Amino acid sequence: MSAATGQDQKRGWDFEAAAMPFVDGLYNTALRMTRNPEDAEDLVQETYFKAYKYYDKFQEGTNFRAWLFKILKNTFINSYRKKQSIPPQSDFADIEGSFESQVSDQATRGVKSPEQELLEGVLDEDVQRAMDGLPVDYRMAVVLADLEGFSYKEIAEILDVPVGTVMSRLYRGRKLMEEAMLEYAQEHGYIRSGEPTKMRSRRDEAPN
Amino acid sequence: MDCRKVREVVFLYTDNEMEAELLISFREHMDRCPGCARAINRTERLLWLVRRRCSREQAPKRLRDRILTSFPHRQKPL
Repeated sequence: MSAATGQDQKRGWDFEAAAMPFVDGLYNTALRMTRNPEDAEDLVQETYFKAYKYYDKFQEGTNFRAWLFKILKNTFINSYRKKQSIPPQSDFADIEGSFESQVSDQATRGVKSPEQELLEGVLDEDVQRAMDGLPVDYRMAVVLADLEGFSYKEIAEILDVPVGTVMSRLYRGRKLMEEAMLEYAQEHGYIRSGEPTKMRSRRDEAPN
Repeated sequence: MDCRKVREVVFLYTDNEMEAELLISFREHMDRCPGCARAINRTERLLWLVRRRCSREQAPKRLRDRILTSFPHRQKPL
């Protein structure tokens, strides 16, 4: 960027004061998207560059944080997503289309086995691994909801999709994470299938 | 509300996105259905895992510095 003069100065400081508090959230989201610290840094840098450039287009009184995350997401889609191996988009569409049938399968299968009550046995790195293993569209929805605490409406705005799509991506993404985490926990031996184990290693940390 | 509907909208409940009207019938069902109450409990634990145990990294200092020094208003006019 070239040096600014006059009124651009004030605008610049205003932008910095408004935007810099979100650098950690943007970086963390970028890291979960790219799964690579170097790419995440470049992505965030580019996001700030674009946001600065288009700050005039931001509408006062609307959600500035969501606006920044939307720029991050657009930049990611345009520049970084191409670099990653992504399953064809149609696969996601098919899965999303069958949301209703997934739900009814889950409901009619009823309560799962007692081992599944033992999610506490899951390690931090399992959570990470399960998150990183999600298809990128689901990962984005889960990160925005569960790590950044955005509402459905805000996520719909950031991702440019209907709220219903946000709901189905969250549903599917979280279920996939649950399955993956249980699988990892089983690998560690925290959960032994067929045995109603009493192991509750992180029970004290769990919510009531 | 039946069990199927409860399982379908469980995340609306845990995400605080459920409308008041639906919330009433949802809670009524939960009070009389231990199976669904357990399912909600498991879902809450799942979300707790994802929300609390997934690592949250801070932006490295060099990234902050890189961003700040790139701002035109921080550069000395020629």
